[in-house]
Amino acid sequence: MTVIQHSRKLTYSIQKYGISYLFISVPLLSLIVFLFIPMIVSLWWSLNDYSGLTAAKFVGLNNYIKLLTDDKIFAKSLLNTTLFVLLGMSIGPTLGLLTAMMLNQKVRFSSLFRTAYYLPVMTSLVVVSTIWLMLYNRNGLFNVVLQEFGLPKVGWLSNPDIALISIVFASVWQGFGFETVVFLAALQSIPRELYEAAMMDGAGAWAQFRYITLPALRPVILFVYIIGIIGSYQVFDQIFVMSSGGPVYSTSTIVYYLFDKFMDLRLGYASAIAYILFAILVIFSYLQMRISRERA
Amino acid sequence: MNIHPKSFGFTFKRTGLYTLLIVSSLLMIIPFYWSVSTSLKLEQNVFSNPPQWIPNPVTLENYIHVLTRIPFPRYFANSLIVAVITTLGHVFFDTLAAYAFAKLKFPFRDQIFFFMLLALMVPFQVNLIPLYKIMATLHWTDTYLALIVPNLTSIFGIFLMRQFMLTIPNELLDAARMDGCTEFGVFRKVALPLALPGIATLIIFTFMGSWNDFLWPRIVTNSEKLFTLPVGLAQLQMKNTSNVAQIMAGTVLTALPMIIVFLFMQRQFIEGMTAGALKE
Repeated sequence: MTVIQHSRKLTYSIQKYGISYLFISVPLLSLIVFLFIPMIVSLWWSLNDYSGLTAAKFVGLNNYIKLLTDDKIFAKSLLNTTLFVLLGMSIGPTLGLLTAMMLNQKVRFSSLFRTAYYLPVMTSLVVVSTIWLMLYNRNGLFNVVLQEFGLPKVGWLSNPDIALISIVFASVWQGFGFETVVFLAALQSIPRELYEAAMMDGAGAWAQFRYITLPALRPVILFVYIIGIIGSYQVFDQIFVMSSGGPVYSTSTIVYYLFDKFMDLRLGYASAIAYILFAILVIFSYLQMRISRERA
Repeated sequence: MNIHPKSFGFTFKRTGLYTLLIVSSLLMIIPFYWSVSTSLKLEQNVFSNPPQWIPNPVTLENYIHVLTRIPFPRYFANSLIVAVITTLGHVFFDTLAAYAFAKLKFPFRDQIFFFMLLALMVPFQVNLIPLYKIMATLHWTDTYLALIVPNLTSIFGIFLMRQFMLTIPNELLDAARMDGCTEFGVFRKVALPLALPGIATLIIFTFMGSWNDFLWPRIVTNSEKLFTLPVGLAQLQMKNTSNVAQIMAGTVLTALPMIIVFLFMQRQFIEGMTAGALKE
């Protein structure tokens, strides 16, 4: 092919496809500049001792090695985050499914109840955490109720054994309405005839749930868990507002620790934390992709 | 209760069901109620025992303080400016790109789209620190630019809108092209109006995400003039730990706009939230 032909072909291509590339240009550019390049920079920094003020010093995998073998606070944060995910994920979706099944019983005012469950979901986490911080106060509503029953006050956020659980509680309260709404929509899409046929065959409530509802909900349940796990691993706002990671690191999480190191200008170290989080999430994202491909 | 053997079980179940629904809904509402009620109390009555369910006396002092002594109106304006511009950006750029990915053919289209989907996996924390550095280098930190420009488009938005665009029949687009419409004209006059339900979802998602965002605005703003509502509220919370009534006034002011929008657009909200889960 001659040069002229080549350039003609190029001009033709630009005319033909230029508009398409123009249409995707801003998101693509934004992706490259604000995500792709920072990602690579972050990976490079994670291999350096870097404060952002002085020149970076290459240290190889030292940051990772230190984080994974020698940093007790990071180990604690990793453990706390995993506990947060496990606890939250064992309560939230179950609560969501239970409330969705209640709302699916042809109840009156069901949209009103749904609104109640859903209200915190669209409220900012900072707002929700601020409210719960007040409820958890030493003299707050929860302790007043406990005292009504003659029980001692609880240091909801000041007792290191309880603080994380308290934050899980507030987070579940904030988020399970999402699961309610998703499960309710899925429940409503199950054909009634299935249940009618099952009842004809003499299937009880449990058998109906076990052999109709649960299999029909399977994909949605998986979706809810994976989205929930990915989101929960990134927990930050609640920690920032309610406990600042304390007392004695009992509520420090991966992202909170990362933020802390960022504020200390240990940018290389913080970047390594980000990549460890990334590695954890990639596993779950991969699962999600496989599942959605299965469904498609 | 009239015990009728046949209907007893049913009535019993229904009563139990409604009791559970009402109790659980109350548990959802009480924290909100409590924050509103506290915001109307005098500070010395906030933790009074027994608790004041109805403030006595009712005072607007906390709101006046938060609105005049603390720049909450400014935070509100910042949140609104950022959320509105971000949302407009998404509606335009995401939809346009989604149209190209769904309805136009060009080399590497599917590869680029796949590349974008892969990027969806990257948690924000990974690019957070270099992104901050980029903003600092451009002298964009502590300006609206840092709050807005990196968030003008989103892969999720493109993905969502592409799903809607795929349902538009190609014949309609071809007919418009025959009539001499430019490709942008086809997008604006045919595809955009047909994708409106999707755009409603996109607007809700984006606006809510922007309004409630915390980590990025927290990191990228230093001066009160640029704080958005969540950042301002967290700041108030840290500085004035002892003024709970005032903090609650700030909380109510932060939450209220979103709650009002939600109550008016509940159907779209819920459809939007479930769209991702069920239609994928």
